[in-house]
Amino acid sequence: MASTFVAAFEILSFGAIIVLVVLGLGIIASMMGIFNFAQGEFVLLGAYITYLAFSRGVPIWAGMVAAPFIVGGLGFVLEALIIRRFYAAPIVAMLGTYALGLIIRESVRGLIGGFYLTVPEPIGGSIDLGNMHISAWRFTIIVITLLVMAGCYLLLSRTSFGLRVRATLENPALARASGISTPLIYGTTFAFGAALAGLAGALIVPVFSLFADLGIRFLIQGFVAVMVGGVGSFIGPVAGAGLIGTLSAALPWVMSPVVADVLVFVLAIAFIKFRPQGLISGRGV
Amino acid sequence: MGAVKQALRVKLGEGPEVSMAENRFDGASPARQVVARLKVLPIVEGLVLIAALVLPLFLQDYLTVFATRVIILALFALSFDLVWGYAGIMSFGQALFFGSAGYGVALMARDLGITSIFLVLPAGTLIGLAASLLLGGFLLLGRHRSSVIFVALGTLTGSYAADRLARGWYYLGGQNGIPSIPSMSLGSYDITEGPVYYYLALGILAVVYLLCRFLVRSQFGLALAGLRENEQRIAFFGYKVQHLKAIVFAVGGTVAGLAGSLYAFHEGFVWPNLVGVVISTQVVLYVLFGGSGTLIGAVIGAVIIEGVSFWLSDNYREIWPIILGVLLLLVILFRPLGLISFVLGERERVGSFGARPEEKRNAAP
Repeated sequence: MASTFVAAFEILSFGAIIVLVVLGLGIIASMMGIFNFAQGEFVLLGAYITYLAFSRGVPIWAGMVAAPFIVGGLGFVLEALIIRRFYAAPIVAMLGTYALGLIIRESVRGLIGGFYLTVPEPIGGSIDLGNMHISAWRFTIIVITLLVMAGCYLLLSRTSFGLRVRATLENPALARASGISTPLIYGTTFAFGAALAGLAGALIVPVFSLFADLGIRFLIQGFVAVMVGGVGSFIGPVAGAGLIGTLSAALPWVMSPVVADVLVFVLAIAFIKFRPQGLISGRGV
Repeated sequence: MGAVKQALRVKLGEGPEVSMAENRFDGASPARQVVARLKVLPIVEGLVLIAALVLPLFLQDYLTVFATRVIILALFALSFDLVWGYAGIMSFGQALFFGSAGYGVALMARDLGITSIFLVLPAGTLIGLAASLLLGGFLLLGRHRSSVIFVALGTLTGSYAADRLARGWYYLGGQNGIPSIPSMSLGSYDITEGPVYYYLALGILAVVYLLCRFLVRSQFGLALAGLRENEQRIAFFGYKVQHLKAIVFAVGGTVAGLAGSLYAFHEGFVWPNLVGVVISTQVVLYVLFGGSGTLIGAVIGAVIIEGVSFWLSDNYREIWPIILGVLLLLVILFRPLGLISFVLGERERVGSFGARPEEKRNAAP
């Protein structure tokens, strides 16, 4: 009973981490039609900023709060300078963002060297439920993921900003004609997606520690999750991320980890092949 | 040797071609004048070939080994260029075919003791063909038309999954790969790294290059170019777009398999990175840099990137990837046709395709 519960918690917390990482990726892919290869590096930057705060003696939580804002700001600047030129061609956008990601990743690698740097958990210890112990920080991640998910959903579905974003997604020409500044909306959406990645990086760095390939580790899983969930909506990628995250955390409990690892990808690609619109089809929120 | 002839024919062939054009069409229309202009592409190709032929005479041994590696990587770049530059399929997992052929021949050499060049190279090529038929058939064919994004991410995922599999599978050596593969042999002679291997790789590159050149300049190549420019229109013309794509994808995989088996024997070991995302993206860089959609661009891109990387590796190893990223970004933003576009005009890049039907009829009697 106790071990089942611990396993379930592990699976849930990994699922939450994947959802957190995919949120930003999904928003950029769905709302802008760009598969952002630099997203993993935004995650890395968030983690790096948190590490910087820690190493300079600033409280870790302050670094975690600052990370999304700094990464979001960078995302806004990058969108205005570079990403903006790629909207017409999705493949060129992939290559361009890949180049951007390469620059960011290698710069961070240069800054931290080839090390694995650990950052302590701001909320340490464990929560005891009878004779079961679960990590307090992982539990916090789950809670924050749920809050961020709900926040994003409300932002996109209930606010006038969300309405503008969706209008720009569905019909850019009409949106422009209605007086919506689509370039500004694109810029803000991209910055928002980047900020979410920054937040994800900041939150997961105590769990995974900081190394240059931290972002790459999640990038392909994230892309697959977005495709499985369905590009075009907010809910789709989140659902896909939940599924992929849960599967890749759950399967190693029942079969050899190597097989499980590969099987998740094969299943996912086969699923997308036969259901290109994904789990949840349709546009909007 | 064929390439030499090619280069020679350019020098000799310039005269007659011009006069023929002028004889048949008395007025000098602008389009015909372009034919009369000096052709850059064959000159570039000839220069590259000559440089490659004489290079080992000036290089120390360890540099010849490095040059051989570059030649093999150029062959690999060619395979990606066929798929992306000519058919517009973004294969982000080209290393899958390169690496699985490498692993295949390494296993043959390790477990079966087969190292004969006449067995291992065809075997590697076949592995590349089989793998690309399988993956390409799955991703490209079928009732639903696959989106570009799906193919790009599907190949990327395939390559990533293969990497993870190779890392975790004990039989394939796990993280360490398969070390100390015996050398490739020709009869009782061992082909070891050095000038012999260099000229072997160069010869194969030249032959494959000419075959590819013939392929992309044929009517098949014309259909491919149409596919790349406007897939829907080509479909309306009645071409089976998905079949064309699957064929060229398989051709690309075949060439990658050949390159992979050469690479495995040259390096003497294979490791998981060979099938993984690192090499997959590396080859994308070569081709984008040199100029996609021109075969020579892929070769030049591989040579330049590997060369500069080697040259900088002593002092600037850390910042080189950053420079590479910046350069790549600049090329994508300002020179989408790659470095080759500095010397090669748009019209020549597109080129002409096969013989037109009426020319064939004229030539027949």
